[in-house]
Amino acid sequence: MKNYYITFRSVTYAQRGERLLNGSGIRCTLQRTPRWMEEQGCGYALKLWTSDVIPAVDLLREDQISLRRVYVQRGDGQLEELTV
Amino acid sequence: MIYLDYGATSFHKPPAVYRAVERAMRTCANPGRGGYGAAMEASRQVYHCREMAAKLFDCLPEQVALTTSCTHGLNIAIRSRVKPGGRVVVSGFEHNAVTRPLHALEAEITVAGRRLFDWADTLEGFDRTLTPGVDACIVTHVSNVFGYILPIEEIAQMCRERGIPLILDAAQSAGCLPVKLKTLGADFIAMPGHKGLLGPQGTGLLLCGGEVQPLIYGGTGSASMEQAMPEYLPDRLEAGTLNVPGYAGLAEGLRFVHRTGVEAIFQREHRQMRRCAEGLKKLGMSVFAGEHQAATVSFLPGMDCEEAAQVLAKQGIAVRAGLHCAPFAHESTGTVSTGTVRVSFGHDASDAKTDVFLRAASKLPRFRK
Repeated sequence: MKNYYITFRSVTYAQRGERLLNGSGIRCTLQRTPRWMEEQGCGYALKLWTSDVIPAVDLLREDQISLRRVYVQRGDGQLEELTV
Repeated sequence: MIYLDYGATSFHKPPAVYRAVERAMRTCANPGRGGYGAAMEASRQVYHCREMAAKLFDCLPEQVALTTSCTHGLNIAIRSRVKPGGRVVVSGFEHNAVTRPLHALEAEITVAGRRLFDWADTLEGFDRTLTPGVDACIVTHVSNVFGYILPIEEIAQMCRERGIPLILDAAQSAGCLPVKLKTLGADFIAMPGHKGLLGPQGTGLLLCGGEVQPLIYGGTGSASMEQAMPEYLPDRLEAGTLNVPGYAGLAEGLRFVHRTGVEAIFQREHRQMRRCAEGLKKLGMSVFAGEHQAATVSFLPGMDCEEAAQVLAKQGIAVRAGLHCAPFAHESTGTVSTGTVRVSFGHDASDAKTDVFLRAASKLPRFRK
């Protein structure tokens, strides 16, 4: 299991994503996006506990939920942006 | 009080609505702004309302913009589609919520179909006037004065075929007739939260099927470094702090409508509207009744309509008299100079209430002679 973060432009998209992923068995929680992840300022993110983030991203895209970025938390605690 | 003014607002709400409003006032902070519990709870309440509305009106939650009223939504829709001096086609039964924003834009307004309860006349009017160069077709689903249900599916089809944006005013139909954004292919559907959807006053919904222009500008809790309003919905239309207690209440109103069923609500209201119209006719009143009529009926009491409403009010009957903010509709029926008395039923319509009203109407001065 790893921690992933998916960021969204709007809290509404993040909430729809939260419903979708939790309903599909991918555990996630809604939280504010850390400031450094969002250069436009202010946003919401989903924190996921999963072994693979790709199915979550695929689900969001299939449901036309617009996401901004995906990050993974490395073993040393640092977050790294992923290209998915 | 026998409340028969549901065309203005719903007065008796499901108990869960009142509870939700108070709970939200006690537990919710600003939605979409903070990450602490009370802010997140506010965001949950707001999203719940969006989600319930999306389910009922066949659209995505982000297509549901939260407004303060149907009028607010119509102003956004009109400003998004009609340019100053632009051409629009409207029905002969529009509310000032439509015609005043058009007047402010100095729009060229063409009225399609003036005959009450006459679908052939209405459709012929739209068919003739929906021509190239029209900025938008703006139609009320149900006349707020006469309860006339316009043939909106056919009008929507004409708009789709001719590439003309459709703006639907669902002030009187949301909650008692099927209203589907995707099926109609409308650019916008505006509705109040406090009428058929049984939420508190100060709430409304604008369903957005196309690009929108904001009416007000300010903080949205998103993309704060950008000075332009966000391009995406619903943030683009929701600057400033939302009425969280109102939308929490509206979510419960929507839940009631879901649970009861739109068709069941319509049948209940419609039955009483018919009984009322028949009863008034038996009393010798001039009644505006016909096919394609929802839960509202207007009549001429044989005396000044405002005075008649006052007499009824003294007997505990709440109805609305006058022009109902819809001079276009009264022009169509030739009742501008007199106005009408409007009786409009809601989710709690019953034989007993209609009977009390009819007894009171039978005692109006003209009929004591």
